[in-house]
Amino acid sequence: MHLYDLPTGVPWLSLIWLSMLVPAIIMMFLKPEQKYAIRMTGTIFAFISLALSLLLFFGYDYTSAQKLQFVEELPWLPQAGINYILAADGISMPMLILNGFVIFTGALMSWNIEERTREYWILLLILTAGVYGVFVSVDLFLFFVFYELAVLPMYLLIGIWGSTRKEYGAMKLTLYLMGGSAMIIIGMLALYYGSGLRTFDMRLLAQAALLPTSFQIAFFPPLFLGFAVLAGMFPFHTWSPTGHVAAPTAVSMLHAGVLMKLGAYGCLRAAMWLMPEGAHYWLLPIAIATLINAVYGATIAMTQRDFKFMIGYSSVSHMGLVVMGLAAGNEIGLIGSVLQMFAHGVMTALFFAVVGRMIYERTHTRQFPELGGMAKIMPFAAFVFVIAGLSSMGMPGFAGFWAEFNIFMGMWDRFPLISVLAAVSIPITAAYILRAMYTVFFGEVKDPSFFKLPKLTWQEYTGASILAAVILITGLYPSLLTEMIGSGVRPIAEAIQHAGTLTLGR
Amino acid sequence: MSFQITDIPRLLPELMLLALALLVLGTDVLERWGTDPESQRERGKAAGQLTAIGLGFVFVVALVQSKFLFTIPAPTADTNPILAYLLTLGGNLQAGGPGGAPILGAFATDNLTMVARLIFIGAAFLTTLLALDYRPSGNPGEFYALILFSTAGMNFMAAASELILAYIALELSSISLYILAGYFRNERISAEAGIKYFLFGSLSSGILLYGMSLAYGFTASVNHANGGQPIIATLFSEIAKAGAASPGGSLLTLAVIFVLAGIGYKVAVVPFHSWSPDVYQGAPTPITAFVSTASKTAGFILLYRVLVTAFPSITGSPGFDSNFSGWTSLLAIIALATVIFGNLSALPQKNAKRLLAYSSIGHAGFVLLAILLWTSTSPTDRTFGTASLIYYLLAYTATNLGAFGALAVIRDAVGGDDMSDLNGLWRRNIGLTLMLTIMVLSLAGVPPLSGFWAKFFAFMAGYKAGALLVVSVSVAMTIVSLYYYLGFLKAMWMNPPKSTEPVRTPPAMNVTLVISTILVLLLGLFPNLVWNILSQATLVAGR
Repeated sequence: MHLYDLPTGVPWLSLIWLSMLVPAIIMMFLKPEQKYAIRMTGTIFAFISLALSLLLFFGYDYTSAQKLQFVEELPWLPQAGINYILAADGISMPMLILNGFVIFTGALMSWNIEERTREYWILLLILTAGVYGVFVSVDLFLFFVFYELAVLPMYLLIGIWGSTRKEYGAMKLTLYLMGGSAMIIIGMLALYYGSGLRTFDMRLLAQAALLPTSFQIAFFPPLFLGFAVLAGMFPFHTWSPTGHVAAPTAVSMLHAGVLMKLGAYGCLRAAMWLMPEGAHYWLLPIAIATLINAVYGATIAMTQRDFKFMIGYSSVSHMGLVVMGLAAGNEIGLIGSVLQMFAHGVMTALFFAVVGRMIYERTHTRQFPELGGMAKIMPFAAFVFVIAGLSSMGMPGFAGFWAEFNIFMGMWDRFPLISVLAAVSIPITAAYILRAMYTVFFGEVKDPSFFKLPKLTWQEYTGASILAAVILITGLYPSLLTEMIGSGVRPIAEAIQHAGTLTLGR
Repeated sequence: MSFQITDIPRLLPELMLLALALLVLGTDVLERWGTDPESQRERGKAAGQLTAIGLGFVFVVALVQSKFLFTIPAPTADTNPILAYLLTLGGNLQAGGPGGAPILGAFATDNLTMVARLIFIGAAFLTTLLALDYRPSGNPGEFYALILFSTAGMNFMAAASELILAYIALELSSISLYILAGYFRNERISAEAGIKYFLFGSLSSGILLYGMSLAYGFTASVNHANGGQPIIATLFSEIAKAGAASPGGSLLTLAVIFVLAGIGYKVAVVPFHSWSPDVYQGAPTPITAFVSTASKTAGFILLYRVLVTAFPSITGSPGFDSNFSGWTSLLAIIALATVIFGNLSALPQKNAKRLLAYSSIGHAGFVLLAILLWTSTSPTDRTFGTASLIYYLLAYTATNLGAFGALAVIRDAVGGDDMSDLNGLWRRNIGLTLMLTIMVLSLAGVPPLSGFWAKFFAFMAGYKAGALLVVSVSVAMTIVSLYYYLGFLKAMWMNPPKSTEPVRTPPAMNVTLVISTILVLLLGLFPNLVWNILSQATLVAGR
């Protein structure tokens, strides 16, 4: 959508991530007792960041030949080829608004944090600033800095405000993700010296002719796997359900909703964009891993008795589909993959809002056998859960449908057998979502004390409504996103296809 | 080659340090102090404050002299006479700045020396502030004077381009530190630290001397065999010439091994590290901070200068391949052992000081990666390697001073420095907790703090040098290190406190903590502030 031209000369992208850092600094000067002021500051700035992202989203011209727009360049350590370069293209734009939606609704869901409110909000906002930064960085070094900034606050957020086995979950998550970072560092060093350019500017590094094929084949795996750990790719996914279950609601929303996308985005932006020939070589192994991800994740989700664990494993399964779209390596698969990042982000945020905030914070249980008939008690929660659930099952008319459809089409084009096998995950997903819907919302009310639960607050109504509306709008009008995503992924898809013809020609 | 009167300004910071040390000693010994606790406390304060003020002054002099900030213009004819006098004074001071041949061939005043001086004097200043409010002791004058003597020794170490001077400088700084480590001689653990430090240190000096004598003998005999003029065979430049004249001299390789072992003790790399956990744990915490930062930095700079100026002919290459020879290979092996051992043995530690001791062994391994890049002959690479080496030392010094400083505060307030003494610190003093968190994260290498850049530069240097294996293992070890650094965060932020009684930070210690926190943040956010200065240091005099 290109509705208007934004004035040039305004550092739009810096404004977005600074709009998360500024309130964090303001909060440091507020007293811990001023909880209302802290919450209000955080929510208002979260809304500002969402508004800025939407403003940019509708101002981005995807028909232009210049894919990277709103470019900002400042020297940071130019002697070592490290600069502060921000820009956004058709892939980053949907991710920006996704992050905007999730942090704004996540902020609304965080109003009930009473313990150490100030520290919680500061960490939450720093994390989000990092996420925004990753989506707009074009310098690989800066990209990595923001990436780490997004990952580390998670340790304290889960460790202090989490629930089930929080310290274990926090440590496991952090070490896994830092293990990924270690691989990313190796990949970065290789790109820096291997290209001979001594720069981290991805626009320059993306000139494929610089990197010999054998080099790409050797150094694609560390870079890709480093990010794939955060995307929850099999066999590096085990941190994710533990982490999600342990985390407080807004943090699980952000984590499953946005942070895991950071991994997939990194795979696409850093690994596949910079090393298309390496990507082409490794497509099949990745596709097989993601097949296991999708089917195995869904199967495990079906066996869970804990509601949050079920959502956690469903995230693993859906993120498997995201990476599967990447592994298709063609335009339609990549479009599906980015769309799935968006769709799953919104959907899973809604799931965690319902399960973590609306149900668990009130009933203090997440076990299926102990829950039941919640539709009678909080009909609104049931309503939005059904919307998210239908999207998760890939029901036509919901966001998830278009995403999964494109991913399977793309995969059919590349490895038809894997596409067929992966389709098994669809009925399994339908099964566990329907089971959850039935046992939690539509059965008999198990515990009469549930009738006395506190009512939903306005923050919960607003947040969940926004997310549900986004799912419906994307489902009914997907070309709002797909055209833009298409313009972003086309160069990458073409480079990978080109790598394919090179291999055949030899 | 003779000593000129104009060489005196070039030695000015060292001369000032020595004069200050005698002054501090004098005020303590010659002044009549009462024996009641009040005047004894006054006595300690006086010595400490004098030292701190003096060090601050010396730091400013060294900073002006280094020309890093500004160059003072020469006065013109119509300048105000008073201003002209001051300008001439400043000009004479800066005439002793970077550049020129080494004094008597032995004392190089290049950019490397200038940067190193600033690090040592700065570290000594911050250490003095840490010690000001620390537990009082019997003879405060000698305590501070020893810090000053040690600092002067480190300055000489960094500038030495001759074997005898290097050795004496190393001994001057070490012997002062032996006494300081065992300063609380009535405490078993401090006494043990002192004696252990001394025993290991003196043995290593012997090894170092042996290596030096081999280098000397080699140089003299090569010169004699070639029928050259009489030379001073202990100069680094002469050793380098002899090495170039007689390639493949295995005696020189032997000399490098012994020299490396001797200095390796000073910088605590595996396998010469075993003294350091006990000494770090037992020494008074401000001294631990000083030993782990300034002393280590001095060792690394001496190591760097010896290797690149005296032994360039046997540089070798660090990649584990057919061309495996020379001191870069040796350093690669040591670095590999150091990062693995240091980080793995930090895992089970329960005492925070001891944990940081092992972590600083691990850091020494990362630092070595930066030196490996000297294997490349390209000036760009060498500049990068040197700059990343000094950046690492600078960042590490700032960070560890802050970290040990925070532990000193906690030790005084809580009465211990075990990890469990950190429990729930956020409830007791959130400012201190925040600063220690920043320090620990910087040590762990979290962007955008300076520790991250330091490690990243070291990895870049190591990768470019071809030591992919060492770099990969080091990167993997940062994950291990993250586990124990997160342990600090867990204790401080998550565990319940033993008591909610607030922890008070004494003002002088607070200054140290705030300065080091600012440094860690500033170096991390704006590394380009110092990068150009550090890049100049590649032009090592005497090479």
